[in-house]
Amino acid sequence: MEQLSDNALMLKVKDGDLDRLGLLFERYKRPLYGFFYNMSKDGELAEDLVQNVFFRILKYRYLFRGDGDFKTWMFHIARNVSHDNFKKNKIRHKDPIEDWEDHIRDDNDRVTSIQKDEELQLLSMAMDRLPEEKRELLLMSKYQDKKYKEIGDMLGCTEGAVKVKVFRALQDLKAVYKQLEKHM
Amino acid sequence: MEVERIQELIAKYNAMTADPSELREIEQLIERGIIDISDLVELHAIEEGIESLETPVPSMSLDDKFHAMLQTEKSRSRPSTLFSWKSLFSAEGLIPKLSFASVLLMLGVAGGMFLRNSDQETIKGLTEEVSDMKEMMMLTMLEKESPTERLKAVSLTEEMDQASKKVTTALLQTLNNDENVNVRLAALDALRQYAQQGEVREALIRSITKQDSPLVQIALAELMAAMQAKSSVKELQKIVHDDNTPNEVKKKIQESIEVLS
Repeated sequence: MEQLSDNALMLKVKDGDLDRLGLLFERYKRPLYGFFYNMSKDGELAEDLVQNVFFRILKYRYLFRGDGDFKTWMFHIARNVSHDNFKKNKIRHKDPIEDWEDHIRDDNDRVTSIQKDEELQLLSMAMDRLPEEKRELLLMSKYQDKKYKEIGDMLGCTEGAVKVKVFRALQDLKAVYKQLEKHM
Repeated sequence: MEVERIQELIAKYNAMTADPSELREIEQLIERGIIDISDLVELHAIEEGIESLETPVPSMSLDDKFHAMLQTEKSRSRPSTLFSWKSLFSAEGLIPKLSFASVLLMLGVAGGMFLRNSDQETIKGLTEEVSDMKEMMMLTMLEKESPTERLKAVSLTEEMDQASKKVTTALLQTLNNDENVNVRLAALDALRQYAQQGEVREALIRSITKQDSPLVQIALAELMAAMQAKSSVKELQKIVHDDNTPNEVKKKIQESIEVLS
């Protein structure tokens, strides 16, 4: 049987068929969890934030018009949820250079204990040290399959401007990665 | 911009020899979609690395919490908000709805035939009971103080197939004694359908001289003319000869008398 599109499902939810949200939850719980987990590195918090996104989808279902992409709308909500959370908890992000030694010691343990893929672990550590908005942009790009136009709609800028933002964020990530690499 | 220059910029970036002004040039080309990030080897590798970063799996408690929330919301949503004409006629639900309606219709028809054939006596009994109830209600309402209530009582007789003697007597009393002209006119109107009955006919003729309202007098005169009640001429002439009768009324009644003569 052909799968119903995200938009068709969400329109049914809007019309009162709330059970259809279960299908959307199954489709997107992991990408959303991944997005929040990579933003916070806190599994429990990430779950709460995913729950919060679906709560808002239910609460504001009447606002979904169906003329845009459901995934973009959902990530727009996810971004707001993420911002609200970071504002509330004032999660500190010190200057990446400032306290490297401490982090590297902790992260080093993680790397050796996992013994899996050093490069990826290093990249993950570098991501954690990026400023919030750049980390968010790269994660949105990952979980939204590089749909720069949709991301631009969300951020209120052009597709080209998003590409430049991604380029700059990647440049910074590369710089952090290289500095981490030197300390390994 | 020349293709060579673009390739030169990409090559310089990949060799990490691009200066700040060249980096700005690259940015502009990325913005315009001429250079793709995947053309820049190191950045492309990092991008691929991000893609390969494992997405952790949420625990089962996330599912539990979500479904609990959904249940709460479902119980909060009132059924009325779930109704929509669109969903009523949606192809998905139309066939079962039509099937249900057809079954219901067939049951109705079968039930109707069954009742017609075997329960005619019961229906007759029920109809009589309803009729009695209406009659009782009408008689009670006629005694109400409010003219509106009495008007409603008179109009109830229109729903009766055949009024009993009790009803016609009550209507005639209303016609002769009710203080409200509108109620009297309504009573006269209701009695029209029973005017062929001898007793009612006689009572209507007697009622002519009892009326002091010109409206009721004219209405009665017109009814007499319509009924061709020649015996009413004498009564009508009494009104014509009465000095208190307005000239307009006299003229109208005279017209009716001429019809009857």
